[in-house]
Amino acid sequence: METENKNWQLVSGTADMDIEDIIRFDYNNKTYCVYKLEDGFFATDGICTHEAVHLEEGLVMDGEIECPMHQGIFDIKSGAAISPPACEDLKTYPVKVENDLVYINIF
Amino acid sequence: MNKISKILILGGGQAAAYAAKEIRSIDIKSDLTIISEEKYLPYERPPLSKDYILDKVTFDDLLFFPENFYKENKINFIGSTQINKVDFDNKKISSSLKNYDYDKLLIATGSTNRHLVISGKTILPEENIIYLRNFEESNILKNKINEANNITIIGGGFIGLEIASSAVQKGKNITILERASQLMGRVIPLEIANLIQDKHKAVGTKIHLNADIKDIKKINNSYEINHNNQILSADLIIIGVGSLPNTEIFQNTSLKIDNGIITDEFSATSIEDVYAAGDVSNFYHPFYQEYMRLESFKHAQNHGINAGKNLIGQKTSYNKIPWMWSDQFNLNLQLTGICNNYDATAQRGSTLEEGIIYFFLKNRKIVGACGLGVGGKIGRDIRLAGKLSEKKTKVTNELLSDKNNKLNKI
Repeated sequence: METENKNWQLVSGTADMDIEDIIRFDYNNKTYCVYKLEDGFFATDGICTHEAVHLEEGLVMDGEIECPMHQGIFDIKSGAAISPPACEDLKTYPVKVENDLVYINIF
Repeated sequence: MNKISKILILGGGQAAAYAAKEIRSIDIKSDLTIISEEKYLPYERPPLSKDYILDKVTFDDLLFFPENFYKENKINFIGSTQINKVDFDNKKISSSLKNYDYDKLLIATGSTNRHLVISGKTILPEENIIYLRNFEESNILKNKINEANNITIIGGGFIGLEIASSAVQKGKNITILERASQLMGRVIPLEIANLIQDKHKAVGTKIHLNADIKDIKKINNSYEINHNNQILSADLIIIGVGSLPNTEIFQNTSLKIDNGIITDEFSATSIEDVYAAGDVSNFYHPFYQEYMRLESFKHAQNHGINAGKNLIGQKTSYNKIPWMWSDQFNLNLQLTGICNNYDATAQRGSTLEEGIIYFFLKNRKIVGACGLGVGGKIGRDIRLAGKLSEKKTKVTNELLSDKNNKLNKI
């Protein structure tokens, strides 16, 4: 992982999210999604690569985020598009937890 | 069993593409061929009435898989080929030029447009009367819409309304003629149909329900449409009055057909080693314990995958809860399950900005749900309604109608 570029932004407290919850995080005119899964926190771009719709309104199941508009599905950890109409992968971002706070590295 | 079996997929749409992909994920040895009438590799059809007309996407964006995918996976694609003879006894299908034999056959020929009939006369496509099914027709439609001023759309179903939404965004005058007393009446509840109707009317589209068309006359370069004793003038007519399963080439065979190819829950037809998937199949749904034929993106994909699995020997029942969408303007409409045969309803949300969903219940269980909202507002709850329906979870009106109750916590 690139360690040169660091721009850690505070997103949420760990206790504010349930398993399979999504939090939308807006920064510099871009939208990101932070997810809580069984094995930790993860982050992707917040807009579906298929149509401009917020993934925050989608459903998280089994480590996947399903777009609320056309049910395109992405793997949350890798960002891979795994079911159409989505075909372009989502960008993913590093997430860290420190002192019960969740940070996303936007670089 | 080291014999490399020959698998033929007849039809080159979404069900065919996903069946081929599924077969290859299980078996790499078989000889696998897709034979399609169209010259193009399998592509997405939903944008043909929307984003493609509005120049928001190009054809390459529509391909399910790039050309390389077929090469790398040794999936032989034969396009521009019309099959006109089927011999199930000798496991052979033929075009006018060539015979193709098979060990296993998947029929994924999709559906074809129903033609409008007025006073016994079939209205066929012509220069300014357009039906939409494939990419070529979408290209023609796009050009025609750009040239036209007054457009009449016959049929207030999904296709007609989506094209209306696209064309009105290009500044065209649109009139929609619908024979029934509501829009999208075949599957969509009246409450949602009325919300859609309001949206179309708000942008100036004229909608005539209960339209009884008596005649369409061509006068110079335009048409006069006589309906309900009114004369409507149009320089372009677009017709979307439903579709029919593409089964014509099987008519004189022993294949069992009744509103599509009769298929069991394992995508198997009445003939051994012959499977069917997607729009063309009237399949037995074990969850609903009835036969149904569906025409939707998700179904074409999932049913194709199921047929692929079963064809290659992984016996798998197809029991997905139906789901479909339509996009019109900034609104996204979704339907899950079956929205008839219910004894109660529940409403969640009251504005399009937050999304409005109607749940249909029977014996306190969700049988279907239909919603409309801006962007992705209704998607998660519609999806969860499908899951609750599948699990036969008992619910209450209070639980469903309060937006503060998360449906995934039920």
